[in-house]
Amino acid sequence: MTLSDLVTVLPETVVTATACLVLLADTVLERRIARIWLPLLAALGLVAAALTGPFTVTSHTAFGGFVVVDTFTAFFRVLFIILALFAILVSPEYLERRAIPAGEFYATILFSTVGAMTIALAADLITVFVGLELMTIPVYVLAAMSRRDRFSNEAGLKYFLLGAFSSAMLLYGFAWLYGISGTTTFAGVADAIAANGLTDGATLVALALVTVGLAFKAAVVPFHQWTPDAYDGAPTPATAFMSVAPKAAAFAAILRVMVGGLGPLGLDWGAVFAVLAAITMTGGNVVALAQSNVKRMLAYSSIAHTGYILAGVAAYHAGASASAAVLFYVFAYGIMNLGAFACLIYLDLDGTRGATLDELNGFARRRPAGALAFAVFLISLTGIPPTVGFVAKVFILGGVLDAGITWLAVVIALNAALAAFYYLRVVVHMYMYEVDANAPRILRTQLLSVGLGIAGIATVVIGIVPDGVYRWALEAAAPFVR
Amino acid sequence: MDHLLTLLIVIPLAGLIPLVMFFRDTRAVKQVAVVTTFIELVFSLVMLAQFHPGEANFQLVESAAWLPSFGIRYELGVDGISVLLIPMTTLLTFISVLYSTGGAIKERIGEFMAAFLLLEVGMVGVFMALDLFLFYVFFELMLVPMYLIIGVWGGPRRVYATLKFVLFTLAGSLLMLVGIIAVYLQSGDAGGRTLSLPELLTRSGRFSADFQFWVFLAFALAFAIKMPMVPFHTWLPDAHVEAPTAGSIVLAGVLLKAGGYGFLRFAVPLFPIGTQAWLPILILLSVVAILYGAIVSVVQKDLKKLVAYSSVAHMGFVTLGIFVLNQQGGVGAVLQMLNHGFVTGALFLFVGIQYEKTHRRQIADLGGLANNWPLYTGFFGVFVLASLGLPGLNGFVGEFLVLLGTFKFNPVGGPGGLFWGPAAAIGVILAAVYLLWMFQRVMFGTLREAYRSLPDLSPLEVVCAVPLLVLTVLLGVFPQPAIAIIEPSVQRILAIAAGASQVVLK
Repeated sequence: MTLSDLVTVLPETVVTATACLVLLADTVLERRIARIWLPLLAALGLVAAALTGPFTVTSHTAFGGFVVVDTFTAFFRVLFIILALFAILVSPEYLERRAIPAGEFYATILFSTVGAMTIALAADLITVFVGLELMTIPVYVLAAMSRRDRFSNEAGLKYFLLGAFSSAMLLYGFAWLYGISGTTTFAGVADAIAANGLTDGATLVALALVTVGLAFKAAVVPFHQWTPDAYDGAPTPATAFMSVAPKAAAFAAILRVMVGGLGPLGLDWGAVFAVLAAITMTGGNVVALAQSNVKRMLAYSSIAHTGYILAGVAAYHAGASASAAVLFYVFAYGIMNLGAFACLIYLDLDGTRGATLDELNGFARRRPAGALAFAVFLISLTGIPPTVGFVAKVFILGGVLDAGITWLAVVIALNAALAAFYYLRVVVHMYMYEVDANAPRILRTQLLSVGLGIAGIATVVIGIVPDGVYRWALEAAAPFVR
Repeated sequence: MDHLLTLLIVIPLAGLIPLVMFFRDTRAVKQVAVVTTFIELVFSLVMLAQFHPGEANFQLVESAAWLPSFGIRYELGVDGISVLLIPMTTLLTFISVLYSTGGAIKERIGEFMAAFLLLEVGMVGVFMALDLFLFYVFFELMLVPMYLIIGVWGGPRRVYATLKFVLFTLAGSLLMLVGIIAVYLQSGDAGGRTLSLPELLTRSGRFSADFQFWVFLAFALAFAIKMPMVPFHTWLPDAHVEAPTAGSIVLAGVLLKAGGYGFLRFAVPLFPIGTQAWLPILILLSVVAILYGAIVSVVQKDLKKLVAYSSVAHMGFVTLGIFVLNQQGGVGAVLQMLNHGFVTGALFLFVGIQYEKTHRRQIADLGGLANNWPLYTGFFGVFVLASLGLPGLNGFVGEFLVLLGTFKFNPVGGPGGLFWGPAAAIGVILAAVYLLWMFQRVMFGTLREAYRSLPDLSPLEVVCAVPLLVLTVLLGVFPQPAIAIIEPSVQRILAIAAGASQVVLK
């Protein structure tokens, strides 16, 4: 390990140091001061980390080939930092109201962010695994952060058990890959597999285990069962974060491992992924239709979006456009889904559960700006222009059609129409029904409104002029184009 | 003025700024909305004045890179088909907004006007976009404001109606999106792809017969749902009955036209072979729509539903005119779109005015209104006569040309114009039956005691109705200027369709 190695991972180091500093400050500072300074400190650390990482990079490896910094890394570093920033911005008032220890909350988010960034750095199976664990273990904690709440505990425990199970499966798959290729670097694995093909059973076992392990992490149907309870039970700001950052990280891992390492078998797993994508989006949407709890509905909707992104992965052999579409969708999904979950923070309910549709009745009259932001996120999730969600769907459809998987494109289109029903139903309740007598209180918030305002404007503006972000995604996808 | 078309998109958006600033002040909000839509109307007329009739190609074209990575352009332009539809849109929007200031919309007036201005952006944009992607964006942009207009300010079953409207429309348009992307991918090799219509028309040789068959279907589904063609029309009566009056006026007057316009602008010239393949079914469905819409209208008990179903029949004439693929049919179809916009817009306005006064829409609950409302009766009578196609009023011209085109329709194999023409003509007779019978039951007979004290048209309502009346008469007596504008562009599209189908067939 040399000094230049350390410089390579400077952003990760800064975030780690910030997390430690936040924990330290939490014990030292007075409550009154900590209220303001803890989130500020965390945010400043994230901004500093973003500034230390070069935006345009020439690909180079470090730590003896364990770590690679390329355009892909740069993309995900910035994305994870943006998501963590938003998560911290929308949290403080909620945490205070529920007496959730704020310092620990921010530090946990930061640690998880480091893990996610590590995945984007990976050039090796071991780095991916370390990154995944470093990312998910803090998220288990986040889910259970509301200690006295039964549902929060259930969320944490379920997430932990299934997460550990899937990690074991993934690790076992990695072990098989090592057995086949004698190396753990993606390049080495790819070479060995290109030479062998799918001829021997060992490769098949490895492929299956790795696919299932990663599918668990990304919440692909039928490996999604942990998602609804985990998302529903966790404190809402935690849900907002864990519905986007770990998902984005899971797709970073899928691209690194499946395309980077198992790319030579792309035609084989591509077909499997296409079917999984269709099942995932349809399954998520159909179950979401039946939900009356909005938080749970959004949980199922995030499963459906996994399906759309996975469709882009399945089409990766179409070239740069499909991989760029995946990255763009991950970016778009991050903003709009975090925003949508965060809108639920407005409703001051008992426990961690989310609002029901009826509790949202007349929300547009009680909080016009908040309701407008929620409507924008929902319209974006539906995929109606001029929002980022629409453009993202267009890019995915373009990649899928370019790869010649026409049936999947039609399935995506029909699913988007299906999903419109439950997204717009929320708008119906917010705008078209009168406030109930026993409607929940509204949390007093300012930071939340600011955060949602920024996210809402970004959703529309990037929806109208997506070219900059798309170019950035296209550059980031370059490492996966052969 | 180089950017006249962009200006038409910007004006309603700019109007949103003062609207939001004075959001709580009901009076100011109304004034801002009326003034904005009026300025928009004036500029659309300026655009019409700058248009050179007799030229077939696109005019006032603006083109700028929008998504350079994809070769997608911000491209606007008008030709003889769209140049009349845009002033129609701005006029109907202005009238809708003006009428809504008179008390028809009682609450959340700021949100209502904001939704209307956004809707106008989408409607105007749809008729100007020359890039398929841009067209799709405007096409969908109309959706959310109309969803809110029906859902927030609509009648008792508004939520059901508005969800049905959105889901139907969205299902169709998303399939069209798949079709658009397929066109994009087929339009060239990586790096040289485009969605610009003028450019695509030069490349239509790239679209194989098989490709055209499926992509035309994707486009046709979206447009057929929007029109709506039978059997995709079931959202329409619900949406119209529940929509507030202003919503009904633009829904019937403008939104339905987006379907017919889409067929003529994109589907037919881009996919001539696809058009030929689906032609028999589309003609059949058009004639079914004419007859079915008319028959169902006869038995309607609800006044607004009757007008809604009559729209299905009238739109049947539009698709019939388009798909007989000859000049009379095409010109007739465009005229029919225009006339239907004015006349049915006016009918919905008068049904709305009547409902505001009596709070009844069931035909059986009404009657004898003519005794009390001479002014109303006069206006309403003219529009009813125009709707049933009385010569001398505008409804006649479009339907007559479409029928003429239909009689000339002579396909290889299958029933020709001599079968479809008389069949469609029965629809005209039925229109006279249901409209006159309705008029008789509503306006004549004995007046109920409860309605005796109700006032006739207010000055505001007269102001709303007069421009429509003038246009109804003018276009009926003197349709030639409009035909002269429409004809070259229709000819051009038919020539492209005929020429392109030969190129690929070779």
